[in-house]
Amino acid sequence: MKSEVMVGNKAVAYSVKLSRANLIAAYPITPQTTIVQYLSEFVSSGELEAEFVNVEGEITAQLACMAGSIAGARAFTATSGPGLLYMHHALHGAARYRLPVVMAVANRGVRTMGPDHTDLMAQRDTGWIHLYCENNQEVLDTGIMAYKIAEDERVRLPVAFGLDGYVLSYTAEPVEIPDQEAVDDFLPPYKSLYPVLPEKFDEDIEHYKRHWNEGHGINEPFTPYPADESFSHLTMVRWGAGHDLQWRWRGHQEAITRAKQVINEVDAEYGKRFGRSYGGLVDEYRCEDVEAVIVAMGTIASTARAAIDKLQNEGKSIGLVKLKAFRPFPTEQFQSIGERCKAIGVIDRNISLGEGGIVFASVRSSLYDQEERPIVLSYHAGLAGNEVRVRDIEHIANRTLKAARGERVESLVEWV
Amino acid sequence: MSKKMSIMDIPEEEAEWPGNPACQGCAGSTVGRLVYKAIGRNSLRVEVASCAPGFMNIRVPSFYAPAFEGAGAFLTGLARGYKIIGREDVVVAGLIGDGGTVDIGFQGLSAAAERNENIFWFTYDNEAYMNTGGQRSSATPQYARTATTPPSKLLRGKGERRKNVPFILALHRVPYVSTASVAYPEDLTAKIMYGKGVKGFRYMHINSPCPTGWGFDPKDTIKVARMLVDSGLWPLYEILDGRHLRVTYKPRKLKPVAEALGLQGRFRHLTDEEVSAIQETTTSEWEKLLSMDGGEIC
Repeated sequence: MKSEVMVGNKAVAYSVKLSRANLIAAYPITPQTTIVQYLSEFVSSGELEAEFVNVEGEITAQLACMAGSIAGARAFTATSGPGLLYMHHALHGAARYRLPVVMAVANRGVRTMGPDHTDLMAQRDTGWIHLYCENNQEVLDTGIMAYKIAEDERVRLPVAFGLDGYVLSYTAEPVEIPDQEAVDDFLPPYKSLYPVLPEKFDEDIEHYKRHWNEGHGINEPFTPYPADESFSHLTMVRWGAGHDLQWRWRGHQEAITRAKQVINEVDAEYGKRFGRSYGGLVDEYRCEDVEAVIVAMGTIASTARAAIDKLQNEGKSIGLVKLKAFRPFPTEQFQSIGERCKAIGVIDRNISLGEGGIVFASVRSSLYDQEERPIVLSYHAGLAGNEVRVRDIEHIANRTLKAARGERVESLVEWV
Repeated sequence: MSKKMSIMDIPEEEAEWPGNPACQGCAGSTVGRLVYKAIGRNSLRVEVASCAPGFMNIRVPSFYAPAFEGAGAFLTGLARGYKIIGREDVVVAGLIGDGGTVDIGFQGLSAAAERNENIFWFTYDNEAYMNTGGQRSSATPQYARTATTPPSKLLRGKGERRKNVPFILALHRVPYVSTASVAYPEDLTAKIMYGKGVKGFRYMHINSPCPTGWGFDPKDTIKVARMLVDSGLWPLYEILDGRHLRVTYKPRKLKPVAEALGLQGRFRHLTDEEVSAIQETTTSEWEKLLSMDGGEIC
């Protein structure tokens, strides 16, 4: 194991190299650009054996990854902000085909160059797994874990992981680089479960017909292909079987729900092998016997740790919950947290206009079935790259604590 | 350069299942049949939104690229992926409509050509968005009636000439570009047989008459296709390495365009002056093409 001071984008590139991704298709966009550059250096120097496709746009990047993944490639792409919005159409495709593509997103707001989570949050309903990182070490480790999660037979879904643009992507920190052999042992080479080969066509069709005629539908985790209604030679077999398409949604929902357990398992195994783990879906920081917690994502969680340390030293009873997995949403974890404290302050670096904080809504909804529900407060912070300082978090924490003690706070929602 | 073939040289083995839900007289389904007969079954098929998903009952692994604009990208990913697993012998082909080629898919097409991806792109061109009811595309010929260019007091059908995509692609300096017609299957097959052996980006643009959209009797599909070639409206040629052009079929004397246009309801509103204008353009384009025959396009 060696250590290097590197920017977040280089940590992403290292994770891809260590994971031995062999198909990389990406298009440059600030603040993701250097990911593509580092990777092209790895490929051109021979350090990473991969097909590198210099595509002409993000839709092509995603579709090329998807198609390559069908063929049997371990595919990677990276983008940011507007590039991710442009890619939106193709994201649905990778998810519905249940392909283990991994993508890094250098989070950039959709309205400015500054970092916020509105870009990846806008892809909320695409069926991808969404993970968020707090520092460059976590970026490198998450990149490797992402493939392990995506390729798990119980999951087989694409994974996107976010790193705050500039704050991580262009900021250097010391990062430990795991040994290649150790990563190879953790993450064996990718093999397509159902390779699509011309010589297997007749056999596959027969298999599929049998499967269908036996009344299985195509919802059992995998049909001959990681396919769905879009594989048109299969369509020919069951033309008009529209109800089946709804089952596909259900199968997808079940797979992404199973991913909750897989994310926790992969995180724990990574911890055992490499000495670092991140709590799986959520990381509870100093949450033992606290009256209240705040919830934060990405680099705001890092700032929040400093604030929580300070407040607990002052004797204040408040902890931090770092939300790492936004999709699948850790509903059960929040129910457990909700049972243990009286107030939760959710910091959203995003907004769903017309409703409010996206994480706030999900956290609050998770708690609805609880007999005793904590107060849940909403804070908007860091949008458009607005700086979030330790004292901002202290303010949020103190206000949340006030609510936990039954004191009146002026409004449910506050812009910080 | 493709070698001249006779109709007897077309492979006998079918790559299609019988029966499909295409319109009567659909040239597109004939395109699919001919193309995959020639490529053989060690191949893949990519399609995007078009009539093709309905009528292409072809027995090779088929992918519906989940984005109309995505044919170039999807083909690229497949070609690279099959290379990674050591299966470059598999012909990665796409059967894409004119919309998915010349309009919404054009960016990805141009980029795949520029990268010289190892793919074979077939455009079956019915000259409008026929699957959605016949709206104008940039492959629609001038004056044609479409659902979005209805001849009226203010409009004479489509106002503009079509985009010359085979030439645009040739200027990307790709190894092989050709045009073809369902009325000349031996020419089409010969070109695919040649293209199959070439590595890199290969493109074939196939004229595909659509009885439903063009307004002719379904029994006349091949006749219409032949008239278009014989009148010079759809010349058959190939361009090698983006430079060397060869006209692969040269009628001794071009038939008048009026005969070809007269068969199609979409040109029924044309005045004699307009037909003459089309005749003039067609003749001069044909002469220009002949002047390049056996030489370089630029």
